[in-house]
Amino acid sequence: MFERFTSDARDVVVLAQEEARALRHGHIGTEHLLLAQLRLDTPTTAVLRRHGLRHDEVAAAVTAHLGSADLDAEALRTLGIDLDAVRDVAEATFGPGALDAPRRGRQPRSPAHIPFSSRAKKVLELSLREALAMRARTIADGHIVLGLLREGQGVAAKVLHDRGVDLPALRDELEVLLNS
Amino acid sequence: MADTAQVASAASSRDPAVGLRAVRALRTLVERLEALQVENARDQGWTWEQIAHLLGVTRQAVHKKHAGGRGPLRRRD
Repeated sequence: MFERFTSDARDVVVLAQEEARALRHGHIGTEHLLLAQLRLDTPTTAVLRRHGLRHDEVAAAVTAHLGSADLDAEALRTLGIDLDAVRDVAEATFGPGALDAPRRGRQPRSPAHIPFSSRAKKVLELSLREALAMRARTIADGHIVLGLLREGQGVAAKVLHDRGVDLPALRDELEVLLNS
Repeated sequence: MADTAQVASAASSRDPAVGLRAVRALRTLVERLEALQVENARDQGWTWEQIAHLLGVTRQAVHKKHAGGRGPLRRRD
């Protein structure tokens, strides 16, 4: 399948691994594909930037999303615990993200080869389908982003949704770009 | 105090879904705080023995739980 990828699309796949390693994540998820795309300087990346997506901001959103996912503020409130207050105290002493981020040393180091999550694999499969549907001969980086939008369930999709990105408009713009 | 009343009602909730979820949330928070404090203590030169004593567990338990990835015998790559 990868032999049909354009060099930009291959860059996305390769950089996604670097993104996962930089964040000390043990898998390559949809969020790392999105971050990798934002590292490139291609027409597809330009479309994403026009929708207000920047690498640093998306990286922060991903970290916040994953870091606080298992801290249940609502349930703690039923016990009379204000998670925000606890977080403020922890951060005042130990710095921003003290409570959020998986702690250094407890997180296993990323292995040399980081596996793709099933959702990220699905995104790559969907990028192939997007390319075929457009009768494209190769799979471009834009097709991977269309795959991300089509998959719609991963962390990348949640971040896009939380940031208020107009997904139908983004999809339309990418299709126009890829058909030109 | 409204907060106290709210706490009392949650603590006495007969709905296991409410109570169990609260317990789980609390455990996760405790784990985060413990990791922060243990790392801080180690950074300040505390021994595992001292940390274990204050946490009320054995030295082996605290070491096994928190020493991962550190120490001279750990592989660094």
